[in-house]
Amino acid sequence: MNEFLVSLLITLIKIGVLLGVALGLGAYLTWFERKLAGHIQARLGPTVVGPFGLLQPLADGLKLMTKESIIPKGADVPVYYLAIMMAVAPAILLFSVIPFGPEFTLFGYQIKPIISDVNIALLVVFAMGSLAVYGTIFSGWASNSKYAFIGSLRKAAVIIAYEVVLGFSVLGVILIAGTMSTIGIVEAQIERGVWFIFYQPVAFILFLFCMLAESGRVPFDIQEAEAELVTGYNVEYGGMRFGALPLAEWYLNVMALSAIAVVLFFGGWSGPNILGPFSPYFWFLAKMFGLVFFVIWLHWTLPRFQAKDVTEIAWKIMLPLALVNVLVTAVVVYFFGGGT
Amino acid sequence: MEWIVFGALALWLLVSVLGAILVKSPVHSILFFLSSVLAMAGLFLSLGAELLAGLQLIIYAVAIVVFYVLVITTIPWEKVKRFEGVYKRELAFGLPVLIVVFLLMGYMVLKGDLAEPVGVVEDNVREVGKTLFTSYLFPFEVASVILLVAMIGAILLGRKEE
Repeated sequence: MNEFLVSLLITLIKIGVLLGVALGLGAYLTWFERKLAGHIQARLGPTVVGPFGLLQPLADGLKLMTKESIIPKGADVPVYYLAIMMAVAPAILLFSVIPFGPEFTLFGYQIKPIISDVNIALLVVFAMGSLAVYGTIFSGWASNSKYAFIGSLRKAAVIIAYEVVLGFSVLGVILIAGTMSTIGIVEAQIERGVWFIFYQPVAFILFLFCMLAESGRVPFDIQEAEAELVTGYNVEYGGMRFGALPLAEWYLNVMALSAIAVVLFFGGWSGPNILGPFSPYFWFLAKMFGLVFFVIWLHWTLPRFQAKDVTEIAWKIMLPLALVNVLVTAVVVYFFGGGT
Repeated sequence: MEWIVFGALALWLLVSVLGAILVKSPVHSILFFLSSVLAMAGLFLSLGAELLAGLQLIIYAVAIVVFYVLVITTIPWEKVKRFEGVYKRELAFGLPVLIVVFLLMGYMVLKGDLAEPVGVVEDNVREVGKTLFTSYLFPFEVASVILLVAMIGAILLGRKEE
């Protein structure tokens, strides 16, 4: 009983730390993105609130929270509110299977820096990544607005197409590592001393595209194409209810999927020991934010695909590529050995 | 402690299934259905069937329900003519079948082969894969051919006339 209570307490602390860090970083990524976008477009970005505009996210948060709440006429109010939860919850749950570092001992207790080490971790990632689509669909439907609903339907089409490609692109890594547990995959890479991106470069590129599509980033952001749909599914939301949707889709999802990409292709927390016990966390976060930076960089550089092209690319080019990749990997693993 | 988790999940499942049948709006009904699928995945997870839980989430909660949602949300329900009342004839035919099936399944779970635990399985994914590709290879392949036929049929129906 006592042991159970201790493990419950440890898990609760882990959840608290993770929630705080993820939501705080999510809020501050808005500052980072605006700053970066500013410099990409030869502007300065936020400078007024605090040094380097560092307090801008707080000011934005206050502004969003004190705004008047306007619900469109004919909206389905319970679903309208539920949609926000359905968008945010999967994005946060994605973090529950991400291992940030190796196991360590504190006060005589073994602690793993992951909330739940299940051996279907990657399936959970796919499931949560695509469960987020309900937030988008229902927010568009419940707002009773044409633009919002068109955005929702586009997002649904994108998610259905890219979820399939995402699943097949990751299969190669699973075949090589011989496990679906995120910790197991990282350990397989450390054991071999090589990152899986060198074994699976095609899979990584496919994964990157799917990541952009699932988190609604350029060049796949047809569901919120500002020029044609105003801003798509969240156009009828106001105040913090509006703020939660991009927070989940653009920031939490991008961070979580980047972390998964680091686990799958960049050796997780592995790296030279430069900071003592904190160096695994440093390497993990450094790799993760490298990817996040890359995504935001693309967002402010590239133009957008046409709506009809996005799904065509997924079904006609990326899915066959992913299948060939899985086939070749399976043959190679069969003949030269691989997983356990 | 486990019965608390099981009880909570079972209660969630029952409430959402009842909700799916009883609410009027089709969109609310599909939301309750989605909630029941999630509860079922939770039940699988609490019983140690991790792979089933994951597949339940990916295949049912996302792939299948998303298509229901797509169809249901695009229909303008306020313009659809709807039947108000109780489906008497359907109930009269359906209830006996339901009772028989329930009794059969109850018997199978309590007395039949299903009641015997197989023992703790270490790696769910590996075991299911092995079983599917050795003992049940033929039904598995037949199922995939059936799906392929359905896919070809859908493409044939959906193609544009030249």
